[in-house]
Amino acid sequence: MYNVTFYLRRLHSLVGLLVLGIVILEHVMTNASSLGGPEAMNSGLAMMEMIPKPIFYGLEIFGIAIPLLFHAIYGIYIALQANNNPGRFGYMRNWMFTLQRWTAWYLVPFLIWHIFYLRIYTKGICGVPMSYELLDSYFTNPIVVVLYTLGMLAALFHFCNGITTFCMTWGIAKGPRVQSVVSVLSMLLFLAFALVTVAFMAHYVLF
Amino acid sequence: MAEEQKKVRFVIERQDGPNDKPYTQEFDVDYRPGLNVVAALMEIQKHPVTVDGKRVAPVTWECNCLEKVCGACMMVINGKARQACCSLVDKLDQPIHLAPARTFPVIRDLLIDRSVMFESLKRIQGWVEIDGTWEVKDAPIQNPYTAATAYEISHCMTCGCCLEACPNVGPQSDFIGPAPTVQAYLFNLHPLGKFDAPKRLNALMGKGGITSCGNSQNCVEVCPKNIKLTTYLAQLNRDVNKQALKNIFNH
Repeated sequence: MYNVTFYLRRLHSLVGLLVLGIVILEHVMTNASSLGGPEAMNSGLAMMEMIPKPIFYGLEIFGIAIPLLFHAIYGIYIALQANNNPGRFGYMRNWMFTLQRWTAWYLVPFLIWHIFYLRIYTKGICGVPMSYELLDSYFTNPIVVVLYTLGMLAALFHFCNGITTFCMTWGIAKGPRVQSVVSVLSMLLFLAFALVTVAFMAHYVLF
Repeated sequence: MAEEQKKVRFVIERQDGPNDKPYTQEFDVDYRPGLNVVAALMEIQKHPVTVDGKRVAPVTWECNCLEKVCGACMMVINGKARQACCSLVDKLDQPIHLAPARTFPVIRDLLIDRSVMFESLKRIQGWVEIDGTWEVKDAPIQNPYTAATAYEISHCMTCGCCLEACPNVGPQSDFIGPAPTVQAYLFNLHPLGKFDAPKRLNALMGKGGITSCGNSQNCVEVCPKNIKLTTYLAQLNRDVNKQALKNIFNH
């Protein structure tokens, strides 16, 4: 009647690109600042701590928690409607479609673990603030390093491929030429972010 | 002594009824130049004997025009959804595997029930209203550029290849699929059909409409009529977004 499906799908698309995209970019930038050494990263984190608490919590709840929960729960519903078939139809975009869903399936448990351990348990319950030293010691466990690197790469792929599908879903990129240009550009963006991710993860491990 | 007759091996996924379990049987068909899958199925029908020498019920399938216009003989040939009539044996890897397009309910063997697409066409109002109390005059003028696009989309023969290839069409989803969705654009382009464009766009906004498209773009790869389905899906995405804004701000 009121086309609820339509508005939920479009909201899912908007939230993923604009809201969660900003969250991912913030994570890449903050972690990349670790390449400049402990002081560079800690001063950046200290600047975030200067945001008054009510505003900070408001941002966390309305800018991250609620959008993320909506995107994840509705996303699971969407992913369950797909019968991934890249084995039968191994075209490029079909692989991207499948990877978009596989990365999502990895990200759901990964983000539950990431948020519960670092945000709710470490920072919230134990009261340990985020710092270079905390992450540096956290990333001494090779399993954690591998799972976190995969988590970051999955999120970045999901976001960058999401830019392409956003342009299709919103009718911005209509023809095949512009669609492949957008696709190539977003994958270049993914490669750039992936390199940065590998660099700062290696930096945590090696230094 | 005549040269030994060359044979073509067919591995066919069969099923006795809608709820029966599928099984496979193999048949050899005499090769001849220009042999296509429908012609081979006709040979099997004349002489339904498997490679083991067992006489079985002939394989059921559907075909009609035999020139890639009606869409009836769509089946899965070597894993890909396509028309059996234009699938030349010379261009296929052997043995040739045939299976029904299981996105649709299977009636028997390779025969499927594609009436779901007809229901979807009714849902998106895939027609132009011409009957009324008004006087019928000359046909309205068509923009020749628009007509070229309309001509392309009008080639759609509702064969269902795009639905079979689409990962978002199937029992797990209520997506009506690329073919019926893009037909809405065809009728929205028509000089008289466009009067009902808001109706069609609203229908596409409903459950299982265009929002269920996940951009896997398999449809445009498999379309036997080379219809630029993804281009028109993107155009329809634009149109439904505009319609949604009208729905929100005009009332």
